[in-house]
Amino acid sequence: MIEIEINGNVVKAKAGEMLIQVTDREGISVPRFCYHKKLSVVASCRMCLVDVEGAPKPQPACSTPVNEGMKVHTQNDKAKASQKAVMEFLLINHPLDCPICDQGGECELQDVAVEYGSDISRFSESKRIVPDGDIGALIQADMTRCIHCTRCVRFGLEIAGMMEMGGTGRGEHLKIEPFLKEGIQSELSGNMIDVCPVGALTSKPFRYELRSWQMHSMPNIARHDLVGSNLFVQTYKGKVKRVVSADNDLINETWISDRDRFSYEGLTHKNRLLEPQIKVQGQWQQVSWKVALDYAVKGLNSHVLKHQKVNQLGGLASSTATMEEFYLLKKILTEVGCDNIDHRLNVKNLDNVITLDSNIKLGALEKIDYALIVGANIRLEQPMINHRLRKATKKGADIDELNVMAFDFNHPLDTKNITAPNKIAPTLAGVLKSIMISNTQELPDYLLAVEVGEVANNIAAKLLNSRSSVIILGEHIINNEDASTIANLITQIAQNTNSKTLNLSITANTMSANWVGFVPQNSGMNVNTMLASDMRGFILLDIYPQYDFHDLETAVKAFTKDDTFVISLNSFKDDIVAGYSNVILPIASVYETSGTQLNINNDMQSYTAAVKAPDEVKPAWKVLKVMADLLALPSFHYADSAQVLAEIFHQPQTKHTHDENVNLTSKHHGISIIWQNSPYSIDAVLRHSNALQKTKIGQMNSAYMNQASAETLGLSADDKYLGVPVVITNTVADDCVFINANQAVNTQGQT
Amino acid sequence: MNEVCFKNLTKDQCWSLKTYEASGGYSVWRKILKGELTPEHIIDELKASGLRGRGGAGFPTGLKWSFMPRHSDGQKYVVCNSDEGEPGTCKDRDILRFNPHAVIEGMAIGGFVMNASVGYNYIRGEFMEPFKRFEGALKEAYEAGLLGQNINNSAINFDLYTHLGAGAYICGEETALLESIEGKKGQPRFKPPFPANVGLFGKPTTINNTESFASVPEIISRGGQWFADIGVENSGGCKLFSVSGHVKSPANFEVPMGIAFKDLLEMAGGIRDGAKLKAVIPGGSSTPVLTADVAMAMTMDYDGIERAGSMLGAGSVIIMDESTCMVEVLTRLAHFYYDESCGQCTPCREGTGWLYRVLKRITDGNGREGDIELLLGVQDKIMGNTICALGDAAAMPVESFLRCFREEFEYYIEHGKSMVKG
Ligand SMILES: Cc1cc2nc3c(=O)[nH]c(=O)nc-3n(C[C@H](O)[C@H](O)[C@H](O)COP(=O)(O)O)c2cc1C
Ligand code: SF4
Ligand code: SF4
Ligand code: FES
Repeated sequence: MIEIEINGNVVKAKAGEMLIQVTDREGISVPRFCYHKKLSVVASCRMCLVDVEGAPKPQPACSTPVNEGMKVHTQNDKAKASQKAVMEFLLINHPLDCPICDQGGECELQDVAVEYGSDISRFSESKRIVPDGDIGALIQADMTRCIHCTRCVRFGLEIAGMMEMGGTGRGEHLKIEPFLKEGIQSELSGNMIDVCPVGALTSKPFRYELRSWQMHSMPNIARHDLVGSNLFVQTYKGKVKRVVSADNDLINETWISDRDRFSYEGLTHKNRLLEPQIKVQGQWQQVSWKVALDYAVKGLNSHVLKHQKVNQLGGLASSTATMEEFYLLKKILTEVGCDNIDHRLNVKNLDNVITLDSNIKLGALEKIDYALIVGANIRLEQPMINHRLRKATKKGADIDELNVMAFDFNHPLDTKNITAPNKIAPTLAGVLKSIMISNTQELPDYLLAVEVGEVANNIAAKLLNSRSSVIILGEHIINNEDASTIANLITQIAQNTNSKTLNLSITANTMSANWVGFVPQNSGMNVNTMLASDMRGFILLDIYPQYDFHDLETAVKAFTKDDTFVISLNSFKDDIVAGYSNVILPIASVYETSGTQLNINNDMQSYTAAVKAPDEVKPAWKVLKVMADLLALPSFHYADSAQVLAEIFHQPQTKHTHDENVNLTSKHHGISIIWQNSPYSIDAVLRHSNALQKTKIGQMNSAYMNQASAETLGLSADDKYLGVPVVITNTVADDCVFINANQAVNTQGQT
Repeated sequence: MNEVCFKNLTKDQCWSLKTYEASGGYSVWRKILKGELTPEHIIDELKASGLRGRGGAGFPTGLKWSFMPRHSDGQKYVVCNSDEGEPGTCKDRDILRFNPHAVIEGMAIGGFVMNASVGYNYIRGEFMEPFKRFEGALKEAYEAGLLGQNINNSAINFDLYTHLGAGAYICGEETALLESIEGKKGQPRFKPPFPANVGLFGKPTTINNTESFASVPEIISRGGQWFADIGVENSGGCKLFSVSGHVKSPANFEVPMGIAFKDLLEMAGGIRDGAKLKAVIPGGSSTPVLTADVAMAMTMDYDGIERAGSMLGAGSVIIMDESTCMVEVLTRLAHFYYDESCGQCTPCREGTGWLYRVLKRITDGNGREGDIELLLGVQDKIMGNTICALGDAAAMPVESFLRCFREEFEYYIEHGKSMVKG
């Protein structure tokens, strides 16, 4: 620690840190445009010039390292003169029409100008006008307003990992623009809107809607991935108008993914389900909540409870539910005596499931020196986790993948090991064997016959040599025939190399479902058994079968049976849901309800509703509570969801035990299909977000396979496979089809 | 005259290795390869010689070389700045054309002193002939076994590469030049860190002007004191002055520092067509202009020119006779800086355009009352507030032109036409 003097006051500082970091910490205001605490320093806007005693010229606070005894004046005549000079230069070519600019009221230039600008402009030459192109569905460019701070350029280069914006030309003709015709496509692109200090880059969906000061800004939590990014939901007259990021260094730093930023658009989609409805003699009727709930409870009673058929009742929920909702649905079911509970809708074989701990926090992830990614397109599936990995690579970490297809990463990969689904477990077994041989450990029987190839040796060596490594298991393994073996091998490899593990085979709020134990109780049925059994009733929470189940047909058949009474709680209208349900109850979507999200760090993040749900729509936790009351179940006396959460805390946490068997006898036959909903089609609100759907990621809708697989399946490039257009590429491993299907596809493929 | 960089100028094929070696060329380098010279000795001689950087800023070369962390691990670089883009300057071009081996030897010596095994010579994009000459010389030097790995079975390595620019004045600024070699857009870096610590590809790097490097072999060969004695106090040795403008015989002259301006003017044949001298820009377009009387009384050395109110810069002497309209000259200069600003920092990006537009308006006959104060105000706001010295370079002429020739500007504004040309 050293001491320096700022404006006559002595303050402490770390030697070598930049002056602006000290002034920011001390709350001393220094104007700035190019400086951003999470981006590299370029010192180009010159707005932060201050007077440092002994220096002949004013010095930029953002790039001047402090040293002992330094005396700084941020407000004296010399500093002020420089700051005013720079301000004047910035304004000469800036359109001074703030009233029609979308950034008006939240513009850093406007704010600083009020303090440092002079009222009359002495500039009377003609102003620069920069024509704009369309740069994509999410960001509106108005480059005449650009002040060339290059924050957006550096964001692309340093954070998004793709240089989508750049400066072309020089001098006054320096133009900040996307290099490529496709415009901006990064999954993190919306952050450019946040970092842009002026109205040059604004939110396209939000454009010209409102002024920032007209809106309420409410802290909230993103619900589309395992991170639970912190954000602000900005509302006006009870509607969500915009979402911007909030700082939380332990979670999302200052960034949020485009998915989290723009999903709110779906809330006002015309497909929103706005009223309760019941199906009477095949006809849907919109009814009051009272009627609907009575009907639901009566249906449950008459189909299930009255006949002592609770073992023919099932409760299913998708991974988007809140922790409180998982808990309440489970509580209702168990209290009526039903053990058939599940959320693992998309797993084909529930005797072969992934059990893997996540034991590394997001912050630690950027400090690892080696990562092995198994079965994940992590950049698009978990953008903010990928962001941390990317940071690790910038500090020199090596990353290897074991994937069925070569995906676009935004950081270097050491080796791309494109591996057929049936070769993943044997490769990992080879890794384990190689490690155990190096450690001179006795080999278990199942490893004796395992061949150790070059890939396995390579990975093993890196894991052994690493100081801090992580093995990441992703979604593509869920339905691998060796899923549980793969997870168990990873656990053992990690144990033998002191590696951490990260389970990304789950998403959204699955961590909460596991926390409250939203799985079959006692000897209750899992989802697949339920769908194959003779069921008399279901309660379905936020389920859209065509996206949620691996086998749509079986699910729909199970729900559609004549004497099966189905209560659906949904936020959006859906024909398939309407086809099999007896009651549909409209429930709140994101930002409309209070709740809790459990993220990959094990942070329990609770949020309140930012807006009231529209029309008759109610938060699901309330619906479930009232349903419980009507079922005359005791102990559902909650005034709010916080009381539900408090009760959850008092529950004993169920610890899962699972077999640690490794079974390497091949169960694969034929071509495996890895079906993934496209990143912007993973939940209902996303599927209804217009702008996101228009992006390149939103449009992802392809069945990728190599030539050999295409021939085996008798397909060519113009065909569709399971309703998805075929793309033949040699970037896919043998014996598999990798599918990214978006909302345009209605039926999930079946094998 | 012509004792160092231009020593062989009048000889046949003066750029060839044969001619260079015949006059003692590469003798210093060969001594180094034999282990007969130490880095400390060379730095001491350079310090004694009083050689100051010939690229414009005049920083003592010996001192600069001593700043390099020669004992630190890892790659280090020497870089020669042959981007020569300053209006009025053409000396480096002729060094590359007529004495390329001196640059090579100077850089090799620098590489040895600073423990840098790789050098780059960054040559202005338009310099096709000098580029070819230099490449030819480089080939000769390699073929003669003077460059490469374990040169002459010594432990010394030095590889030298040429890098051709692409026509941007700003790439003459040393850190923009480094960016450009790295394959990036040529934009100056902010300092600190300085190139001696974080330079080319992030490694310690020393950048010197072509003339600085080309002077080194002769200085070491004949001794620092010999060089210092050619010049005057604070300005050791001789220097190339590029004399251009309204003179009879514009040319480069290598003359002792401290020579009287009027003698230099004489060497260039005096003002052409018997006209009278009006103004002089003594050190390249970025240095303040001087009136005839002041110039005629000035000596051509760092202190002498500074006393006269300008700077020696790169030794680019622009001569203007009485037919010159100073308003138009300044407009042309302002356009140059406006056009060449890299655009990253606000005062330069916006200010150079503002200056140019106001001046253009004046020369278009649309000058307004208050324009002079406006120009002075704008230049003052650029001055000292930018990342690199291009901002200052754009500002400085404005101040000096308006100070020395204000009445011409007032006239142009008031009458809408030139006082000189009518
Ligand atoms: C805008 C600008 C242009 C420059 N152009 C040149 C140039 O063309 N050649 C050069 O040697 N130095 C040029 N310089 C100076 C270099 O930055 C640097 O100071 C010089 O190369 C150092 O070499 P020296 O110490 O041998 O003079 C320029 C500086 C600025 C600010
Ligand atoms: S668009 Fe915005 S963020 Fe990008 S350089 Fe311009 S002002 Fe800065
Ligand atoms: S002063 Fe001009 S040329 Fe130098 S860095 Fe700034 S904008 Fe670029
Ligand atoms: S904030 Fe320091 S120069 Fe831009």
